[in-house]
Amino acid sequence: MTLQLGEKHFSSAQPESAARRIVTFKVGDRTFGIDVGMVREIKGWQATTPLPHAAPHVRGVLNLRGVILAVYDLRTSIGLGTTDATATHVIVVVDIEDKVAGLLVDSVSDIVDVPVSAVRPAPDLERDEHGLIEGLVLLDTDIVALLDLAAVIRDGGVETPMAKLARAS
Amino acid sequence: MDPLAELKQTFFQECEELLGALELRLQALDEGSTDPEDVNAAFRAIHSIKGGAGAFGCTELVAFAHVFEASLDHLRSGRVALEDAPFALFLRCSDAVADLVSAARNDEPARPRPDLLAALEQVGKAPGAAPAAAPPPPAAAPAPVAAPAPAADAPLGVAALGNLLAMVEAKTASPSNVDAGWGDEPAKPASTKPGRTIILRIAPESDLFRRVIEPRVVFASLPADDIVSIVCDLGQVPALETIDVSDCFMRFVVTMRTELSVEDICSRFDFTLATEEFQIEVVEDAAAAAPAPAATAGNAEVSGSVAADLSAILAKLGPASPSSEAAEAAPAAPVAVAAPVTAVVEAPAAKAAARAPANDAAAARQRTAVSVRVDLDRIDKLMNLVGEIVITQSMLVECVRSLPYDVYAKTAEGILTLSRQTRELQDHVMAVRAQPVKAVFQRMPRLVRELAQTLGKEVRLVLEGENTEVDKTIIEELADPLTHMIRNSMDHGLETPEDRIAAGKSPEGTIKLIAEHRAGRIVISVTDDGRGIGRDRLLAKARSRGLVGADEKLAPEEIDQLIFAAGLSTAEVISDVSGRGVGMDVVRRNVESLGGRISVDSEPGRGCKFTLALPLTLAVLEGMVIRCGADRYVIPIASVIETQHLASTPIEHLTFGQEVLRWRGEITPLHRLGAVMGSSGTRNENIIIIAETERGDNVGIAVDEIVGQQQVVVKSLEGNYGTVHGASAATILGDGLVALILDVDSMLRLAATGERPPATELKLAG
Repeated sequence: MTLQLGEKHFSSAQPESAARRIVTFKVGDRTFGIDVGMVREIKGWQATTPLPHAAPHVRGVLNLRGVILAVYDLRTSIGLGTTDATATHVIVVVDIEDKVAGLLVDSVSDIVDVPVSAVRPAPDLERDEHGLIEGLVLLDTDIVALLDLAAVIRDGGVETPMAKLARAS
Repeated sequence: MDPLAELKQTFFQECEELLGALELRLQALDEGSTDPEDVNAAFRAIHSIKGGAGAFGCTELVAFAHVFEASLDHLRSGRVALEDAPFALFLRCSDAVADLVSAARNDEPARPRPDLLAALEQVGKAPGAAPAAAPPPPAAAPAPVAAPAPAADAPLGVAALGNLLAMVEAKTASPSNVDAGWGDEPAKPASTKPGRTIILRIAPESDLFRRVIEPRVVFASLPADDIVSIVCDLGQVPALETIDVSDCFMRFVVTMRTELSVEDICSRFDFTLATEEFQIEVVEDAAAAAPAPAATAGNAEVSGSVAADLSAILAKLGPASPSSEAAEAAPAAPVAVAAPVTAVVEAPAAKAAARAPANDAAAARQRTAVSVRVDLDRIDKLMNLVGEIVITQSMLVECVRSLPYDVYAKTAEGILTLSRQTRELQDHVMAVRAQPVKAVFQRMPRLVRELAQTLGKEVRLVLEGENTEVDKTIIEELADPLTHMIRNSMDHGLETPEDRIAAGKSPEGTIKLIAEHRAGRIVISVTDDGRGIGRDRLLAKARSRGLVGADEKLAPEEIDQLIFAAGLSTAEVISDVSGRGVGMDVVRRNVESLGGRISVDSEPGRGCKFTLALPLTLAVLEGMVIRCGADRYVIPIASVIETQHLASTPIEHLTFGQEVLRWRGEITPLHRLGAVMGSSGTRNENIIIIAETERGDNVGIAVDEIVGQQQVVVKSLEGNYGTVHGASAATILGDGLVALILDVDSMLRLAATGERPPATELKLAG
């Protein structure tokens, strides 16, 4: 697998004014992004050890140089089923709050700088993604959905029955 | 962290140690010790606390410590006899200092203790206790000063620097009159006093101030009347630009006329100076007394000289000595020069050092550099790294298996060596992490003291094996169980003095707290000589709670174990101390969660003994690696009783799919690990592991295969994920993959509630 992490500048006219550097990656034909500062490293897929009775988007735990961290399947989080992970799949290792976690995605695409002003608030999306998307960025022809990682890891966007009940009442 | 905060942190850490020492020494004295070292050590401890507190501006602490120190000084100086000393008060004061320290540490307002201060100030004022005429020593401990001391008693470290500056000024202003700075005692003609002339050369290490010692404290330990002169040598003071104000550059020559023995003088410096920092020279009476005027002249000369050269003094004092030779040889080898006129007596340790100079410098410095403070984080990292090596090594073992035989044989030898060395390395790192249980034990005397007061009981606490070492993580977990166990013994075990006398025992009860190593575990026991467990009451209570059937017969030992059952308390009055019936139950659960065990032995009327056994570390455990479907797990060897083939064990089915097996004539529940833990892959479940639960019940666990037995490194799952039901932690196996470490009890709870997938299946309307 080859990663081409070229840098595209969104606007060279104002490079420094409040730009966000975003790592983008793909799940299926959809593009997601997170701030580069949250990414600790990117590694190829590695078998995980399943955890008993964990939420569906928790793929299990793996050993990253002696640290045990949980891997979350982003595909499951956005309601597209389970990733059939192969050697070409990628785990994005992220720092989120005080924890280290892995995010299973299909591939990493790019690192881009976008001005903060180009980030649009997320419209009301389909139910499964509720709360996962922090904002949207238009990049060439792609729409990059910026992820709220804490939400991805917390409940993967799949609402628990209790949460549903709470919302319904 | 900014350097000051870091220093402050270190200070509080030291305070804890010092408080522990203070308490232990006072305790020993209270119990009748007459060892002067106990007094000195206690004084030293409170003095160091005061010094550090001053440096960090903890005024309340300084004020209290100052008064406390002053009253302890009465003991040290013999003004108050040991047998008259109010040690109970001192112990309460040491508790108060502990409170002040923790208040300072947490930046909380400190509770003023005027009662204790007032009581402390009475120490030494008792009629006849102090000869009124005795003037206070030059500086360190004047008569007790009242509370507003902080302002008057400027922070010690700063004061020391002030002194230094004063000295420097004195030097520049009037080099001939440096001595005036110390003018408590005008120099007296040496010959007017009985005794011998002694010359003390004091050359402190440059870290003197950082050890929170002031020169005046050093001098204060000598009888003021005996000091003839003190001369400061500022020859070591570097250029002002390069001066580090926290270094001490002063050297002193003290001339004394005294009846004290050399050993006595040595012992007075016990806690201020290292033995290599001073030299004592006795000028023989014959030499000194005969030319009395010469001696006086000598002293005058000494006082006037800024750089008091020993050779000069010797030359003046001993007219018989060929002065020019002496002057030349003296700086290099005082011993040799002194031979003709003076007997040079060095401190014992210095003597030893002199015999084997240079190459044994380390031994001579022992007092100042016995230990290094290391951040626990670093040691943890080291331990993690050792864990990594253990894992890599088991990975290697696995790789090597697939090699052709001849290559394998050679490699295997190397790996065997590696594994031995790894084990050794691990032991050493564990040893670094190990700490004596003293850290926890020394909190107990205070607890006992306070409880004894609350409960109106007389108790003597005996500590044994405080130096038994155990991993730092275990130490932290020990405090709670021990506190509970001691409370239990104090409240339920020991009787009141009246009851004890009625039972023919001494009115004072004894609690023994003993730590020892046994079979790779640390075993701690709490033994009291009280009334023992009231079995009838305990059993009646258990019956009334339905824990024991009305006609169920229990052996006496079984009744005793009921003390660990939840919600049982036999105390007649529910007190603040204990008696809500949660204590021992919680203790048991905590101890077991650490992989430990607790048991009780009781003899009615004679007492009761709780025994606590814990693993020496939580970082590594011996585990059995098992496979179930495609997944592997580790089960702690400590939980496994035996393993067997399914075929040899008859299984019976109860309703609701619950399976049981007959094992050693008992009906034992059987759980299939794959089903409980949701293992993937197909399973055959041919092997049954009989495991023990915390309650001592047995349970069968069906698995596919036993892969092997090995040491595994415990890795937290909570750190980056959260609690995993059924597992206590995880580990990394030889192939780099993660395996869960099973927790039998948690697994059984999971089996009881969640063999079906959790709540996500719920169908909801809307």
